[in-house]
Amino acid sequence: MTSSPTHPTPLVEMTDIEKHFGGVRAVNGVSLDLNPGEVVGVLGHNGAGKSCLMRILSGAMIPNGGMIKVNGRPVTISSPHDARKLGIETIYQTLALADHLDAPANLFLGRELKTRFGNLDEKRMLDEARKVLRRLNPNFHNLGDAVSSLSGGQRQVIAIARAIYFDVKILIMDEPTAALGPSETAMVADLIKRLSAEGIGIFLVSHDMHDVFALCDRVMVMNKGVNVGSHRIDEVTKDDVLSLIIKGALPDDWTPRNLEVAL
Amino acid sequence: MVELVQRLRKAGAGAGLSNEAFHKLSALLTMLILVFVFAFGNDAFFSVNNGLTILLQTSVIGLLGIGLTMVIITGGIDLSVGSVLALSGTVTGLAVKAGVPVVPGMFLGILVGAACGVVNGLIITKMRITPFVATLGMMLMARGLALQLTGAAPISQLGKAFGVLGNGSLFRMVEMQENGFPKVIFPGIPYPAILLIVVAIAAAYLLRRRALGRHIYATGSNEEAARLSGVVVDRTKIMAYAMSGALAGLAGIVLMSRLITAQPNEGVMAELDAIAAAVIGGASLMGGVGTISGTMIGAFIIGILRNGLNMAGVSSFIQQIIIGAVVILAVYVDQLRSKR
Ligand SMILES: Nc1ncnc2c1ncn2[C@@H]1O[C@H](COP(=O)(O)OP(=O)(O)O)[C@@H](O)[C@H]1O
Ligand SMILES: [Mg+2]
Repeated sequence: MTSSPTHPTPLVEMTDIEKHFGGVRAVNGVSLDLNPGEVVGVLGHNGAGKSCLMRILSGAMIPNGGMIKVNGRPVTISSPHDARKLGIETIYQTLALADHLDAPANLFLGRELKTRFGNLDEKRMLDEARKVLRRLNPNFHNLGDAVSSLSGGQRQVIAIARAIYFDVKILIMDEPTAALGPSETAMVADLIKRLSAEGIGIFLVSHDMHDVFALCDRVMVMNKGVNVGSHRIDEVTKDDVLSLIIKGALPDDWTPRNLEVAL
Repeated sequence: MVELVQRLRKAGAGAGLSNEAFHKLSALLTMLILVFVFAFGNDAFFSVNNGLTILLQTSVIGLLGIGLTMVIITGGIDLSVGSVLALSGTVTGLAVKAGVPVVPGMFLGILVGAACGVVNGLIITKMRITPFVATLGMMLMARGLALQLTGAAPISQLGKAFGVLGNGSLFRMVEMQENGFPKVIFPGIPYPAILLIVVAIAAAYLLRRRALGRHIYATGSNEEAARLSGVVVDRTKIMAYAMSGALAGLAGIVLMSRLITAQPNEGVMAELDAIAAAVIGGASLMGGVGTISGTMIGAFIIGILRNGLNMAGVSSFIQQIIIGAVVILAVYVDQLRSKR
């Protein structure tokens, strides 16, 4: 399924990924891939292992086993820095913002813009931050405030901006709309469509069935660390997905939805 | 009291002041009140000579405080600076005694301080020992080493050149009088004070204008976020401890030069004055917050307090009680202001 003629090599191929914490098998032999321009929903209960799997790809967590290929080449991702060099950008569920710093400082943290003399180029960082943040939220004005004083939505917008500002090829979004209001959520949905149209591959971790069905090309459901189902979005219903999430299996009488339609 | 601070805070916010600026302003105000009170009590307090004495006395606390500020911003602490000060000073003394010229000898001392800091940083980041314990260990080791190297005896007769850094001054003006005695027109700005200003400006530049400084703040603000953002957190911390160690070394050299004797017993509890200076200046032991200018004000508050209390004839025991109370008060006011 992954090697359709339009997608000769997947962007990402994760094979048999393992992550243990003592006796807890947070990720238990999960395989998953992602093609250019594809949006893959990663679903499952709290504690199913979604964030762990995503953190392994973004270099925030070192797996106990498994293999990762990016653009067909095996890679070792042992730090967030490694992941970024491969064009993997992540919006973490925790947002990962430094509370005492302002929005531009957070946006460019770890990749600061510098002047010819190696000093921080505050002015350019502020200008760029204003541009990208306003695109996501036109009412974003308090760029000089410590991000601890901003609203949950504004903080999430900074985390999103940081992931898309740089040259992103693979975008991991771990519950990116959890703190957003309706208009910002719509903005993020538009953003996902636009980025995937540009050929960027996106993993979207979400609990919102509406978003998942509106945005994803494929869904992968995790249950207790195991991949219990990977389906094209047009072959399942919301009830099918819920059954995978809750029971870890499709309904007993399941047949692919698009087949049903054809019959 | 509580209400007053909160009301002032609100007024400050109304005037567009950030928490940080508000804290700095209140610290500055405290300092001016101190100067006023002491000057009122004693004419000699408010003189050029005494001003220079305070500058000189504050330089050691100030140098240590700058290093501690960087470490405290990363969310750490460095209890070893008082001992490292002694070790660096005695190593320099021993080197000079052994025939090494003064300037290279002093650089050696700073290097020893930086090395102690690097060891602190490695213990904290690689062995995952908490900063409190790691630097407490270094405090004992560095002091022990200084005492061992010197047999616990001071090294004196280090020569005139050794004393220049601690006792010399810039723009000193002396006029020969008709009676053949020299008359001091302007006592000059002591070298240690100049050194303090230069180091403070360099440190403030590093923290505000360089990526390393930004990473120091980020590490203390949210270490995990810094790591996920690609900041090499371990290296950032090691750099902060190395700078703290190097500045402790520099402070040791200044102090021993002033005494023209290398004293392995110097600097006991100096770390506490330096921590107090940073905290009074607004640095948060939780990390992510602190400024060099604030720490300088804090160092001067302690320097002025000690000097003024000395001149008023207050015993050193009572001084300890007062400074202890000031530190607690500063932290308390800080908590009030940052309460939401
Ligand atoms: N750093 C960690 N240390 C120990 N256990 C962890 C850690 N991170 C996650 N886990 C455990 O791994 C499992 C999967 O967690 P997670 O990937 O966060 O789930 P999800 O994102 O699907 O809600 C949970 O049981 C969680 O408690
Ligand atoms: Mg999660």
